[in-house]
Amino acid sequence: MSDMNQAGQSSQTVSNEVVVRTKAKRNITFKSVIRDERFLNVVSLIIFFSAWHYFAATGPKGTSAALATPWDTLTGLYDMMFSNLGGSTLFGHTWDSLRRVLIGFTLAVCFGIPLGLLLGISETASAILRPLVDVFRPMPPLAWISLSILWFGIGEEPKIFIIFLASFIPSVLNACSGVRMIEPELYDVVRVMGGNRWDEIRQVVLPATMPAISAGLQLSITGAWMGVLAAELVSSSSGLGYLIILGMENSDPQSVLGGMVMIAMVAWVLTASMEKIDMMLCPWRREIKGL
Amino acid sequence: MSPSEQPKAKIEVKNLTKKFGDLLVLDHINFNIQKGEMVAIVGPTGCGKTTFLNCMSKLTDTTEGDIFIDGAPADPVKHNLAFVFQEPTALPWRTVAENVVYGMEVKGVPEKERKERLDTILNLVGLKDTADLYPNQVSASMMQRIAVARAFAVNPDLLLMDEPYGQLDVKLRFYLEDELVKLWQTLNSTVLFITHNIEEAVYVADRILVLTPKPTKVRAEVIVDLPRPRDFLDPKFVEIRRQVTELIRWW
Repeated sequence: MSDMNQAGQSSQTVSNEVVVRTKAKRNITFKSVIRDERFLNVVSLIIFFSAWHYFAATGPKGTSAALATPWDTLTGLYDMMFSNLGGSTLFGHTWDSLRRVLIGFTLAVCFGIPLGLLLGISETASAILRPLVDVFRPMPPLAWISLSILWFGIGEEPKIFIIFLASFIPSVLNACSGVRMIEPELYDVVRVMGGNRWDEIRQVVLPATMPAISAGLQLSITGAWMGVLAAELVSSSSGLGYLIILGMENSDPQSVLGGMVMIAMVAWVLTASMEKIDMMLCPWRREIKGL
Repeated sequence: MSPSEQPKAKIEVKNLTKKFGDLLVLDHINFNIQKGEMVAIVGPTGCGKTTFLNCMSKLTDTTEGDIFIDGAPADPVKHNLAFVFQEPTALPWRTVAENVVYGMEVKGVPEKERKERLDTILNLVGLKDTADLYPNQVSASMMQRIAVARAFAVNPDLLLMDEPYGQLDVKLRFYLEDELVKLWQTLNSTVLFITHNIEEAVYVADRILVLTPKPTKVRAEVIVDLPRPRDFLDPKFVEIRRQVTELIRWW
């Protein structure tokens, strides 16, 4: 083992098994910088924003009103935080959209995950309900907008309904396929010890489905966020979707782009929080530390 | 062959028969295991070893015959059965220690005793320093040791092992076989060990049952009364190994 302990390597023994760690050192050369991932990331972004600025600043007369420069977008965003846009500030509209998403998403998850688990666990429930799920599955939630307005009017309900639809199906499907993908040996572990069906569900099904459920939450929240914007674009008097429509009607690319940036930022925050939740739900999938 | 007819066998297998439709897989198998005995079962590939174990553990129903533990028909709820599967079956969401303790949880072992036994077992199998890691953070051999530790920890009436070390390299297998013998001696368990590795069988077992190809019967019984720790190069060891090999080859 001692011949392994060269510079840059370390080995240790854990439970009679040798663990070797190696770290390679590289010299900085022109070639290595050119191929460096972070360097290329930065170059890519610089080119994108320069092109954006160039087209916005030099666009032929009459079309320059269709695009604002990156800097104008940023200052526009700052102004929107404090000015009244159709009855509310930027934050007010953001909260309106977010609130709808959270209500619809929570409802969808609360019904969707138990239903998905039921479909996965019970053959009978699956035989009865699966065809219904399969009928509704391929229909994009946005196709329901007109019907939902006919049913619920133009208040909050149709938007929450759309969000519910957008996040319900991924919750159901992921929970269901999560149950289906469980290694059969894991059930045997419980059964051979004398565990009953309830032990199997509690000790194997629930924890084993957690990663799939968590992945379903990611899909659901993304779907919910798209759903709320689409619903607000069609009919609304508040929310980020409405803000974009307002900007379009006023031929104000600055506030359209500002709204888009905000939409992207909220989407990023939502995804990031889902990842945090994922870490909490499935701590066993953590990276290998110290081994 | 005639089963060893001792009174008061811990495990009695009587007329164990399993059919899948018309296919006869296990054909009236009879044998006994004494308390604290380590019996190995060897047989040609595809002779129904796994079916046999699944019947023994009651994961599969038998077509005919039954397994009796202390005179009563084996029942996973009533009896303490433990199984070490061929594939690693550690529960990924439990740490190493939580996995080992799991069997005792299902069996309802009191909290305090659970902790003591866990400590003993983790020390015996050398998983002490990896107790708080998750299975995806340990190697394949450690996964198998988790399963072995989990099985021994419930103080089983009968511990069934299905080629637990089949997928490990030679050095680790030797090490783990020693560990298995140590656990078995320390805890005085009754073990039925299935393997296709004859050397392994001679190394660990008190007695070896040789199976025939399908439909499976017990072809012969070989008593291994060598002192432990055993030596692979001992002429007697080599002789028994040769004897078992011949039994598997000539049918």
